Amino acid sequence: MKASGKLGIAITLGAGLLFGIASVQAQDKGPIKVGFIGGQSGPFTQIEPAKIVKAYFERINANGGIQGRKLEFYSEDDQTNPGLASQGARRLVDDIGVVANVGSASALECSVNGAYYVQKGLVSIQGTGVDPICFKNANISAVNTGPFTATTLILQYAAKQLNKNKICAFFAQLPGLEPAYREAVIEFEENSGKKVVVQDYSYTPGSDPTPLVLKAKQVGCEATLFAGSDAFAISWMNAVKTQNLLKASTWMFIGSTYTEAFAKVMGSSANGSVVASEFEPYLGQGKALADWSDLSAKNGIGKTSFSLGSYLAAEIFVNTIKTIKGEISRESVTAAFKSMKPYKTPLMGTPFTFGSAASHRSNQSVKILEIRDGAYRLAYPGWIKLESKK
Amino acid sequence: MLQAAVAGLISGGAYALLGVCVVLLYRMVGVLNLAQAAVGVFGTYVMLVVYGLGWGVWTGVLLGLMAGALIGALLGSIMSKWFSEAPLQTRSSVTIAMLIALLTIGLRVFGSDLRPAPDLFGNSSLEAFGVVIPTGAIVVIALAALLAFGIGRFLQRTKVGTWLRALSERPTAAELLGIPAQALTVGVWAVAGAISSIAVMLILPTRTPDFTVLTLLILPAMAAALVGVFKSFGITIVGGLSIGLIEGLTSSIGSIAPFRQIIWFAVMLLALLYAQRKEVWDAAR
Repeated sequence: MKASGKLGIAITLGAGLLFGIASVQAQDKGPIKVGFIGGQSGPFTQIEPAKIVKAYFERINANGGIQGRKLEFYSEDDQTNPGLASQGARRLVDDIGVVANVGSASALECSVNGAYYVQKGLVSIQGTGVDPICFKNANISAVNTGPFTATTLILQYAAKQLNKNKICAFFAQLPGLEPAYREAVIEFEENSGKKVVVQDYSYTPGSDPTPLVLKAKQVGCEATLFAGSDAFAISWMNAVKTQNLLKASTWMFIGSTYTEAFAKVMGSSANGSVVASEFEPYLGQGKALADWSDLSAKNGIGKTSFSLGSYLAAEIFVNTIKTIKGEISRESVTAAFKSMKPYKTPLMGTPFTFGSAASHRSNQSVKILEIRDGAYRLAYPGWIKLESKK
Repeated sequence: MLQAAVAGLISGGAYALLGVCVVLLYRMVGVLNLAQAAVGVFGTYVMLVVYGLGWGVWTGVLLGLMAGALIGALLGSIMSKWFSEAPLQTRSSVTIAMLIALLTIGLRVFGSDLRPAPDLFGNSSLEAFGVVIPTGAIVVIALAALLAFGIGRFLQRTKVGTWLRALSERPTAAELLGIPAQALTVGVWAVAGAISSIAVMLILPTRTPDFTVLTLLILPAMAAALVGVFKSFGITIVGGLSIGLIEGLTSSIGSIAPFRQIIWFAVMLLALLYAQRKEVWDAAR
């Protein structure tokens, strides 16, 4: 009885193993699995990025897929929680076996999973990278400019295009971002030869920004950057208005403030303030946006800057893996990205690159918009690109 | 420097108003209400929704105040129905549950989208001696002073005031004498709900319009109430205003500016030390 029981178990296990191997072999020509990690609930919630990548892949599938294989999309919600971001990545990479991550839009995913992606030989084409590691990892390349390069760029705009001399910069306190912001300011100072008069990191989310606005006035800042979310920027501009300081300085913001809500809420009380857009301005009418707008409308997806970033990541991914001659696997996808040529797109001011460098910062451009009566319009016709002194 | 201090007055006034609500509930119905700011935020969001619908600011304010009072009354009736005999600690713990409930429901109902926040006084300001004084600051301070004076008078001079005092001193005896304890409790909660809604509406333009963040206004309000030893309305208001002033003032001193948002903690500590100054160590423990 015992012996036969053991035999039974052995047979079952053996059969299971064989079946498993068989199913792995069957999967070889199965769908191409693609992962995504983003905050789809919690403090940093962006529901559109995952939807747009899915919609993009479904359209590819409807047209026959790639090499006759369908793209299968798996998204993980990290809830802006490092633990969940880490679990999500392991589920995608180890359990599901994705070939790459595409379009991820998370506030912390790069810091949490960057080292793991390198270890597993997986590339992530980040749609929206926020934390510094998104721009300092061999296996991650973000399509967006990111808050740090955007900071350097908008300061450069103030110094060069607006010819301001007293430039100030205020940053909202968010964990882990200060050192990277400091680097961004130093990069500006080295490139432009001008000094940032005030650099302040004391604004905490939710606090009254009036004292800082007064500080800017006291110092006589001709151009003042405030780097924070649109919600913080609203209270910032309210303080500016109450203190009658709208004309005292050119108030500047980076991409995190470029939202429909910000312009709408401010109405005419922020006229003349400028924001940086990390892509072709998503609220604009640019031709380059036509396909994205169309895809969004057909699938009922709201239009946000994050969605545009993820759309672009999906486009770059599909066009890059189309160049793969042999089988599409994690290895071949990684190899394709590590050896890819700069990818030009009208949505970005500089070409997207991946390559084999230890870090990637391909998007080094912004467009500058001005707020006028509750809407945005171009303040400067072309792209503002990073001008390094070297 | 002076300008920076004055800029803290709106915050200070709102802390003071919320602090008065905390003291009111503590004194009259024996609850340390940690959900007080959340009730105000709820009322404020109702105002924002009404304003967003285009019904006008003041209709919004009115409906917001009513919503604040209604939610206050609802919480008050829960408290008086199920926890009227419970000790202070239990009742205060119940308010933590209420806080969590309000936060959850608030986020569900209103979402996390930004809403246009009207400034009730059109972001206007007066200028005196080169210092800009926002109209909102003047209104909030006047309101706080009026309230402190009014509540004191009300409790001393009116019949309902006497009932309330009786209820707070000897609840059971008061109830046996035929004082409508439950109605009074609910009434006090409703009034506190309405006042905190005003406080949050006034402070809103200077803050991030976020449900959770605004709910944290309870912390400086508690510090203000502590300065008044949960007893004096007048001193609570002075406490709230001082916290606002110190916050504003410290923001212009570079080295301590980053810590200005936790000034209320220092104030709490000092108030506690002062309140305990005559205690003998063993007895105080």
